[in-house]
Amino acid sequence: MKKVFWVTLVLFAASCVACTHTGGPSTPTAYSFTVDIPAGWRKIDRPYLLVTKDSPFLQNIMVQNRFIGRSFRYTKKKMRKEMLPEEAAQIIIDEYASDQNIGNLKVLDNTPAEINGHDGFKILLTYKGPKGNEFHTLYYGFIKANTFFNLRFTAGGRQYFQKDIETFKRVLNSFQVIKANKS
Amino acid sequence: MITRLSKFFFFLPCLLLLALSTGCSTPSEPVVSDTLLTNVDEQLLWQKAEEEQRVLESSDLIYQDEKLEVYLNNVVAKLQPQTAPADLSIRVKVIRNAYLNAFAYPNGTIYIHTGLLARMDNEAQLAAVLAHEITHCTRRHALRAFRHFKDRRSFLTSVQQALMANKGLQKLAQNLGFTGSLAAVSGYARELEAEADRVGTELMTRAGYNPKDALSLFDHMISEIEQEGFEEPFFFGSRVRVRERIDNLQNRPDDRYPRKRPAIRNSDLFLAKLDHLFLDNARLDIRLGRFQAARRGVEKFLRIEPDNTRAHFLLGESYRQQGQDSDIQKALKYYNRAITLDPKFAAPHKALGLIHYKKGQRALAKKFFESCLQLSPNTSDKAYIKGYLRQFTPSEEG
Repeated sequence: MKKVFWVTLVLFAASCVACTHTGGPSTPTAYSFTVDIPAGWRKIDRPYLLVTKDSPFLQNIMVQNRFIGRSFRYTKKKMRKEMLPEEAAQIIIDEYASDQNIGNLKVLDNTPAEINGHDGFKILLTYKGPKGNEFHTLYYGFIKANTFFNLRFTAGGRQYFQKDIETFKRVLNSFQVIKANKS
Repeated sequence: MITRLSKFFFFLPCLLLLALSTGCSTPSEPVVSDTLLTNVDEQLLWQKAEEEQRVLESSDLIYQDEKLEVYLNNVVAKLQPQTAPADLSIRVKVIRNAYLNAFAYPNGTIYIHTGLLARMDNEAQLAAVLAHEITHCTRRHALRAFRHFKDRRSFLTSVQQALMANKGLQKLAQNLGFTGSLAAVSGYARELEAEADRVGTELMTRAGYNPKDALSLFDHMISEIEQEGFEEPFFFGSRVRVRERIDNLQNRPDDRYPRKRPAIRNSDLFLAKLDHLFLDNARLDIRLGRFQAARRGVEKFLRIEPDNTRAHFLLGESYRQQGQDSDIQKALKYYNRAITLDPKFAAPHKALGLIHYKKGQRALAKKFFESCLQLSPNTSDKAYIKGYLRQFTPSEEG
């Protein structure tokens, strides 16, 4: 019985490390940006910033700075610094469309957008995941120097999307670039 | 109760293990009879294959082209073995997917990807792939693999959990099902694949094709996989598996069946029957960033229709999206050709607008953006175009 207790305790401690409850501004040294993490949302341990309120499969906000020379996972295309926002948006749509794990991809919106003073794009996508569940993703992105910054809100179904879209917009409005990789 | 999903998660690791177990032993050959469905396990396998095919065919993956399907099934008819069981009806369908692959369900339905078809130059190469897949069906390779797997069930179960972590193939495997994934992703044991090569080449030769015509296709696939660094999930996208096909073909003794007539290639007929598939697949290749492969497909199509607007536009797209300075000149050439061929086609106007805008040639950019909006007022990217136009000063007008 004691053994079970200790194993449970260790597992609980490990989960606390992996899913830290946060809220407030986030300026970790690994990122080139800062955003306000909404109260009650917790951070999932990933190389990029990923936060969720209930579970990443129900809703998550992801913020990432990405070196433009890196190929994407599914399309071999790369971003270039002279790219226009709509060219960058096309690569993101192609990346989703080339993902063998998603189906029924629909691009509901693809328009220019300003992200805290940076000219970028906004895409709204719906698709079905590997288990047939519907997802909605609102994706903002822009290129600055050699970095592609992106913020996306993904929710499992329309209900979760509507519920937390305003929270995502607050995160988006709080976004600030600290530095962009120039080399 | 075992749910449908948990069955899927059980079968996926199993087929991966089957692939790993190649070379351990050869699945024994079932007793050959005039009909296939005398065994209970074979009936179950067919039933499962039919269920899985219904899922696949209700997805958006099937490429609809009746004329092409008739042609592919005519090639199958030429290859049909004389001793094929009476209840096995071989038919071919096409999957809209730029990855290189073909696979067969045990009940005789062969699926071939647009990506593999677009790499081919003639009917002999098509016959080589189809004859290989026909042999999987007539020699009941799925059943032999299935029986082989059942013997190892307890071992497979113990490692099931570890392999469930393979998320990269979940959706795909769900569409293809267990029997489809087994054939499409991992292939069968090496001995069964070698048998498919050996019997397949016999079928080809009897039908009047030269099996060695397939060598140029496989060589081309290997060099494409190596040069472009493809990481494909499928059997025919695996360098090792394609190399095995080449080795088996090269080791085959020549002219076991002396030919009275020259070998059939039907290159022109083949290109004519595939026609728009080359363009549809080129769009998928461009999406994947495989610009060279896309251009090769479009160039094949241009041999049939040299003045096709869409083909010239796609060549322009492949160069513009590749994005090197020298590519932009080529892109300009193809977009202008597309406009000459069909001045009302809006897409090349938009692309030319983008190129001139990025070069700072604002008057030209404005001209093309405006003509694009005039030709296609509700184009999906009108918000971007209107944004560019708002930036132009009055002096740039006219």
